[in-house]
Amino acid sequence: MLDLLPQLVLTGLTIGSIYALVAIGFVIIYNITGILNFAQGEFPMIGAMLCAALLAAHVPLVPAAAAAVAGTCLVGALTERLAIEPAFGAHPLTLIIITFGVSMAFRGFALMLWGADPYSLPEFTPGAPLAVLTGVLGRQAMWAIGLSVVVVGALFAFFARTLPGAAARACADNAFASRLVGISPRRMALFAFTVAAGVGAVGGIVIAPITGATYDMGLELGLKGFVAAVIGGLTNAPAAVLGGYAVGLIESLVTGYLAPGYGSAITFALLLVVLSLQREGLLHQARRRQV
Amino acid sequence: MSRDLAGIAALAAALAIVPLAGPSSYVMALFNIVGLYTIVTLGLVLLGASGQVSLGQAAFYGIGAYTSALLARDLGWSPWIAMPCAVALVAAAAYAVGLPALRLADVFFVLATLGVGIIVNVLMVQLDWLTGGASGLRDIPALSIGGRRLATDRDYYYVIWAAVLASLVLARNLAAHRTGRALRAILGSEVGAAALGIDVTRYKMRVFVLSAAYAGAAGALYAHYIHFISPSPFALYASLFFLVMAVVGGLTSIWGGLFGAAAVTVLDQVVRAQLPRIFPRVGGEYQTAIYGVVLVLIMIFFPSGIVRGALDLRRLLRGGRPSAAPPGRPEAESAGGARA
Repeated sequence: MLDLLPQLVLTGLTIGSIYALVAIGFVIIYNITGILNFAQGEFPMIGAMLCAALLAAHVPLVPAAAAAVAGTCLVGALTERLAIEPAFGAHPLTLIIITFGVSMAFRGFALMLWGADPYSLPEFTPGAPLAVLTGVLGRQAMWAIGLSVVVVGALFAFFARTLPGAAARACADNAFASRLVGISPRRMALFAFTVAAGVGAVGGIVIAPITGATYDMGLELGLKGFVAAVIGGLTNAPAAVLGGYAVGLIESLVTGYLAPGYGSAITFALLLVVLSLQREGLLHQARRRQV
Repeated sequence: MSRDLAGIAALAAALAIVPLAGPSSYVMALFNIVGLYTIVTLGLVLLGASGQVSLGQAAFYGIGAYTSALLARDLGWSPWIAMPCAVALVAAAAYAVGLPALRLADVFFVLATLGVGIIVNVLMVQLDWLTGGASGLRDIPALSIGGRRLATDRDYYYVIWAAVLASLVLARNLAAHRTGRALRAILGSEVGAAALGIDVTRYKMRVFVLSAAYAGAAGALYAHYIHFISPSPFALYASLFFLVMAVVGGLTSIWGGLFGAAAVTVLDQVVRAQLPRIFPRVGGEYQTAIYGVVLVLIMIFFPSGIVRGALDLRRLLRGGRPSAAPPGRPEAESAGGARA
């Protein structure tokens, strides 16, 4: 029983690193625009599918992955310009429904373009897995955990150290005041969607060699990433990353020890508990966003 | 408001004529599905009247279907007793969900209902000793009236549309009287409504339980009509589908439910028939792309529904922006409320 634990923890951390990347996208967009973007999980899907399509066209892995991330950034930017920007200033509920619509549209278009069969990506560096206690950590799982840490670190450096990062933080803090000093909240919204899409695409490409890539992988990833973001308080990026790992671990442990198939039910039960515990804080933030 | 009653009477008359035209069993079945979806969507429209949106509607639809099916099939109850019991259970479940969820701000209430919807669907798949798991329940007893077993789509047409008319009358009465006024006041401003002595949480709970009961009733009818249920029609996808219907119809009028359900169901049939000609190698739910685009366009251009949206179109053409009101809230009424 206990010798299963290291393996379950490693699996949980691997999948959790992808949830963390989706969650941090949620937080970036929510902080800067006040929008809960339920199309967030579609960005990993688009990244992974684009990369698989490029590989099928005999593009080497590194340029294919880079082009897939860039392409997904473009999709994120277009999402903001075509679906979010025209409804700028609408009620938060209207915007949420729009993001659900965007998510449905992406899923449908992906099915039309790429079909329902799963695509597989090759491992970045094939080789023997690393033994950790009684578990094993595959090379690709190391890539997933490592890349997620690197991306999160780079994002923190960006927001803390650079001028555009400071502008984004100013916009998250007080959109009205930041307009007075020449920061355009609309340009920042475009920027937030672009970055969140790129981060999501990295997650999708790195996890696809392990889980495969399908047109409908986005819904689940998006919802799990959202739960992770809520656990972290929705405005707190480091907490959202920890939330991502927590969701991955809980899911892996529940599936391994209690009942396979109940993973998502437990995750969403957790969401309900966190929502009801945090309601004062969340309510307060929701009010502030509306003003 | 009595215009609505006249409209319902006219609808009843038109519905009585339809079977006389001798439509095919396909058309009758289509009418029946539109009828069931109208009841579910009407629940969402009622909820929308208080400024709330639920993504758990398919779960309540499913609980109604499973409860009535199990009571009638495994315990041998008459469906006419099983169905009200199923509706009562759905109402109780909605009450239990509403107690914590309705305290959340509107956006987070949606997410709580989404979570509940996913949990219920997982349970439908996993509790296979009760629900039959992914393969579902077969041989659900049919309805019978006065010893005569209902068999054809046309038989069910009368039962289902009688239920639709009853739902419309109930919704209309609710909107026209005290509860409706209270809900509109809550929509305008929760603080303002509370200041007028309206118990905001109680009214929200009442309409949430009622909206779930509508879905439960439709689900119970569905189970006895189709005789077979499985978890997949009650997944999150279905909740989004119902939301598209409610949003297309507009969350402001009881007619929104009927219009939205009819428009989206017919669109669905057309798309299913035509899309394979354009994308022959693709199977599955690719029509989601179209619903997604429709949903986005409506929320951008007509956040209060197509019918009202057409009325607002002139203003939009003059360069207006979408309203800052929640979906379904008419712009004129919200002008004061949005500042509050």
